[in-house]
Amino acid sequence: MSRFFRGGDDSSSESSSDEEELYTSSEEEEEEDQEQQESSEEEDEDEEESSDEDEGPKKTGLSRFLVDQDSSESEQSDEEGATKVKSAKDKRFDELEATITTIQNRQKIDDWGSIANEFDKLNRQVVKLQDGGKAPKSYIKCIAELEDFLNETLAKQKVTPKNKKLNATNARGLNAVKQRIKKNNKDYQTQIDAFRKDSDAFMESDEDEAPAPQPSRVRFQEVVAPEEPVEDEDGGFARVDRRGKAVPYSSEGILKHLRAIVESRGRKNTDRAEQIKIMEELNKVAETPYLKIRVLQTLVSARFDLGSGTTSSMPLEHWKAAEKELAALLTILETNKDHVVVEGAEEWDDDEKTPVLGPDDKYIKVPGSIVSYIERLDDELTRSLQSIDPHTSEYIERLTDEASLYNIILQGLLYYETIRKDASLEIPQESVNRIIQRRLDHVYFKPSQVVKILEENAWKQISSAADSVITPRSQTGDAGQLIYVLCNYLFDNSEGIIRARAMLCQIYFLALHDDYYKARDMMLTSHLQESIANFDVATQILYNRTLVQVGLCAFRKGLVYDAQNTLQDICGSGRQKELLAQGVMIQRFNQVSPEQERLEKQRQLPFHMHINLELLECVYLTCSMLLEIPLLAQIGSSPDIKKRVISKTYRRMLEYHERQIFTGPPENTRDHVMQASKALAAGEWKKATNFIHSIKIWDLMPSADEIKAMLAKQIQEEGLRTYLFTYAPFYDTLAIETLSTMFELDSVKVAAVVSKMISHEELAAALDQVTNTVIFRKGVELSRLQSLALALSDKASALIETNERTLEVRTQGSANAFSRKDGRQGGQRGGGQRGGRGGARTGGNAQRQAGGTQFTGGALGAAVRG
Amino acid sequence: MASAPAANGDSSVADYDLMLKLAQNLDRHMIFPLLEFNAGQLVDEESGEIKDEAKAREITQAKYSLLKKTDMTDYVANLYCELEGLEEPPAEFADKKQKVFGQLQKYEQDTSKIIELLERDDVVNNLRSDKVANLEFLKREHEVTIDMVNALYDLGNLQYSCGNYADASETLYRFRVLSTDNDKVAYATWGRLACEILTMNWESAMEEIQKVRETIDSKLSQNPLAQLQHRTALAHWALFPLFNFEKAREPILELFFNAGYINTIQANCAWVLRYLAVAVITNRGRAKNPGIHQKQMKDVVRIVKQEAYEYQDPITRFVHALSIDFDFEEAQRQLVLAEEVLRRDFFLLAHADDFVDSARHLIFESYCKIHARISLQDLSARLGLNADAAEKWIVNLIRDTRLDAKIDYKEGTVVMNHPPSSVYQQVIEKTKGGFFRTQVLSAAVAK
Repeated sequence: MSRFFRGGDDSSSESSSDEEELYTSSEEEEEEDQEQQESSEEEDEDEEESSDEDEGPKKTGLSRFLVDQDSSESEQSDEEGATKVKSAKDKRFDELEATITTIQNRQKIDDWGSIANEFDKLNRQVVKLQDGGKAPKSYIKCIAELEDFLNETLAKQKVTPKNKKLNATNARGLNAVKQRIKKNNKDYQTQIDAFRKDSDAFMESDEDEAPAPQPSRVRFQEVVAPEEPVEDEDGGFARVDRRGKAVPYSSEGILKHLRAIVESRGRKNTDRAEQIKIMEELNKVAETPYLKIRVLQTLVSARFDLGSGTTSSMPLEHWKAAEKELAALLTILETNKDHVVVEGAEEWDDDEKTPVLGPDDKYIKVPGSIVSYIERLDDELTRSLQSIDPHTSEYIERLTDEASLYNIILQGLLYYETIRKDASLEIPQESVNRIIQRRLDHVYFKPSQVVKILEENAWKQISSAADSVITPRSQTGDAGQLIYVLCNYLFDNSEGIIRARAMLCQIYFLALHDDYYKARDMMLTSHLQESIANFDVATQILYNRTLVQVGLCAFRKGLVYDAQNTLQDICGSGRQKELLAQGVMIQRFNQVSPEQERLEKQRQLPFHMHINLELLECVYLTCSMLLEIPLLAQIGSSPDIKKRVISKTYRRMLEYHERQIFTGPPENTRDHVMQASKALAAGEWKKATNFIHSIKIWDLMPSADEIKAMLAKQIQEEGLRTYLFTYAPFYDTLAIETLSTMFELDSVKVAAVVSKMISHEELAAALDQVTNTVIFRKGVELSRLQSLALALSDKASALIETNERTLEVRTQGSANAFSRKDGRQGGQRGGGQRGGRGGARTGGNAQRQAGGTQFTGGALGAAVRG
Repeated sequence: MASAPAANGDSSVADYDLMLKLAQNLDRHMIFPLLEFNAGQLVDEESGEIKDEAKAREITQAKYSLLKKTDMTDYVANLYCELEGLEEPPAEFADKKQKVFGQLQKYEQDTSKIIELLERDDVVNNLRSDKVANLEFLKREHEVTIDMVNALYDLGNLQYSCGNYADASETLYRFRVLSTDNDKVAYATWGRLACEILTMNWESAMEEIQKVRETIDSKLSQNPLAQLQHRTALAHWALFPLFNFEKAREPILELFFNAGYINTIQANCAWVLRYLAVAVITNRGRAKNPGIHQKQMKDVVRIVKQEAYEYQDPITRFVHALSIDFDFEEAQRQLVLAEEVLRRDFFLLAHADDFVDSARHLIFESYCKIHARISLQDLSARLGLNADAAEKWIVNLIRDTRLDAKIDYKEGTVVMNHPPSSVYQQVIEKTKGGFFRTQVLSAAVAK
């Protein structure tokens, strides 16, 4: 507010203060009325504020100063008279009344600038005066009227021509009030409605209730004295501390202590460790469940505050303590079903006594959010895991805490399930979703045996009476079922990102457990690759992880083509580390700002979630080898086939490897694959198999022997293909028997491979059934001119195709011209246009095409750039 | 030939019965002919005796529970008697019959006026293509209310339920002309399609399929799930005309190969692939355009390959063995099994011979494509024919397909000649349509 006063032009602020002055002088005349005096007292404060803001004495300032003195004197004398009878609460009441009167008066003169000020003040005051969520009636009346008046003014403003607009200050005040009142009035909507319905009755009921504060007044008067020191926090603290040693904390004072601690939260110079100690003591003396819940909540929050820095994680002992306390909190909540912790419950203001269950209340509601505590605990564990060196025993020790965290999550879920059963509590679906999401995050990347153990241990901790509706105890043995249930729950009950994440988690789990087709189908039907770029970075990383896992799964199934295709986007980019959030790339050219670097570090996954990058590279390169080597051989024999590249990364490595003058024995994975490639290209499939088999990292795969056998088989077949491509020009006929012994393949298998090649027109040959030989046809090599002519005609038809497609996009909707042509041309070309186009898209590399089953890595790049 | 494997392959062939899967996607009334067919299978051809009493009873039971919910009371009552061995149906059936009659009469009364109007020439001549205006006109001139139009719908529904398909079709047609309620019109279209199928009125069934298809594409484009379900149903319903009406073949195959439907089949009802494969394979000689047929064949192969993990039966395995693995012996084995499956399938029974014939052609075709010299003996074994018949068959084939092949009688071989396709011919093929297409394109741009 002050800024806008200073910022506004002088004339306007002057005029407004003039108005105020006018107002106060008129006030002076009716001093008898007590309320009016109160209002002028308010005025004073206001005046003081504005005079401060005005900076520097002015004419008006001086005269106003005089007024101030007068009124403050009279007010003081009044005060003296009143102090004896009035409690703090009543005083506040009076202040409130006064503010309301001011607002009403200001309304008469359309002074929105000061209405805005007063309105703020009113709201501050009313917070202190609320008892049991009910604001004082007069307050309700005031805000209701103010809203009406506001609407009226706004309506008027619309009608009046521009020249009669409000001045700048008023206009701003008006806007401020407009925005705030909407927000504010929502909270009191029911009361306002009651007021609007029958204002008289409403205010009368006010009178009925009026005596209510009176009895409490007596009590409060007594209270006033002890309350005093609490207001002065530091003093209060010192005293508690001093007394803390001598006198043990009593359960009566707990709430007061807590209030003090909560209020000092976030301030400078508060000794958090000290506070935590105090609360630990308090926890010991807390007797009723209510007090315990309150103490534990505050204690856990205070512990989280310790790790609130952006980089540092929470100290270990505090994490453990917080975990214990959360567990205790959940146990208390479980045993005391009449206490619930819900978001949006009202604060309990009375420090002197604890709430008791009213006759028509079912619960004692404590404000707070269990799910937030759990999330925070989880985040803190992740953070500390990020900062610990994964190769130390410390990391493993820390990782064991995950089990206890999982217990908490499960307990929390059970808690939310129980309280959601009661519709009157109105627990939002979102809380349950969040907690299930957390649970899912802890299991989706684990093998089912591990999940099983985790689940069993978690359920052991929970009393046998409790059971979950969503994930019944009886189903704990089956990890797949668990994931399925959790994901489906999220799928039914959530939307947007949580839904997408649930989907990805499920796919990840399926892929991890070799359920390739299901994973692939889900991946395809989710259509996530189209929208993944719009999601947040964490989800994009999850998408990339899932993609990689699906690729690895395809590889384990022996589906080399699919594996290569799926992994291409992640591994072909050379930025696997970044895309999977498993390490930060050293950027050579563009400088990364510290801010970016920090974000990047925050995103990193803890080590135990990593996908082995070396294994990934190994799989990718091996797949690329199996696809690329025959292709290279094919291209080599007929140099003018359109140059098709499957994996650029692999080609680059191969070229680099070939350039080397001297190649030593292979050392790393890459060397192994490269030398195997060389051997394979030369038709020495046995050597290639040896190279591939000697890669140590296969042992990390489950059932490594099967995979080696699968690879050997693939190498044999691809070796045969490569051999045929490479040496076909030098043979007239070739006995299948020879090939069969050469590659140690069944002759039927050889025949099948050759048949396939012939049928796909990769090989110009035919089989002779009588002599069991392959007859190579001669004279199929094209001259340079011929092949160029072919290439030209290809390009020409591609150009037409592109043009047509462009036009199709352009004229969508009014595509009459095009569709007519479509039909005619379909007849002319002898093949339906629709079919032709569909074929063109997939037909480009039809030989080994697996149909429309590839994924595109939509999340690339964007995931990193953030 | 069919009798030999039937003895031992009985149990395995039964595994490929799609009755249950099909039934989920068909209307009650359409399942009935399938059940009838199953019952008919149990009757021994020569003696006319029922082979398996328990099974027959099971089918009757199924028929009963199937039709219980319809209003064909007389027939249901008969079935009930048959099941329980009663002479006279219990009274409840008579009650129900009475009730249905009452309802029918009520609806007929409600609609008598509008039907009468629609039969008058002077009224019909005044109708235009604008439905709202029509309704307005009828309301003004003849006091027709929207309730009367809706009564038509109810009447159609009831008629259908009673098994009076022809009348139901007519009534629904009238309703559709007048109604402006889009949902009900869509239902009426489905209803008419069912009627036309059940009365075997294939020409108009095809029209209805086209209409339903349009509705699915346009109205449901915002609701992918409903679209999927409707398409699944349509794919199943379309099987009736596909295998019963010669002219329906091409349009329905075109429908199936449409991206939306092929995806539906892959995602939701892979077993339709059997019918698709059979339809495409038997369509070999009939297709006006060999290009389209080749394309469809390729698509079938691709989809069979993709769905192999999800759905397999002898027919798809035959396709897989022949076109993906090039394992001719396996293909031959599967063909025998496939024939057996076909003979037990309601839709495919009539096409079994056709399929076997076409499949042989396919085998031979791809065999010839790959081989340069084939021994006749081997081939005849492969085709399941004796040497003389095989020779005749091959001669016919060479003549029909203008295959470049010769029989060397002395050696007992067929020699294939594979001329490499001329590169000049290729260039001509590729550039043939270019000029025309460009012209059309420029015309379209100029517009």
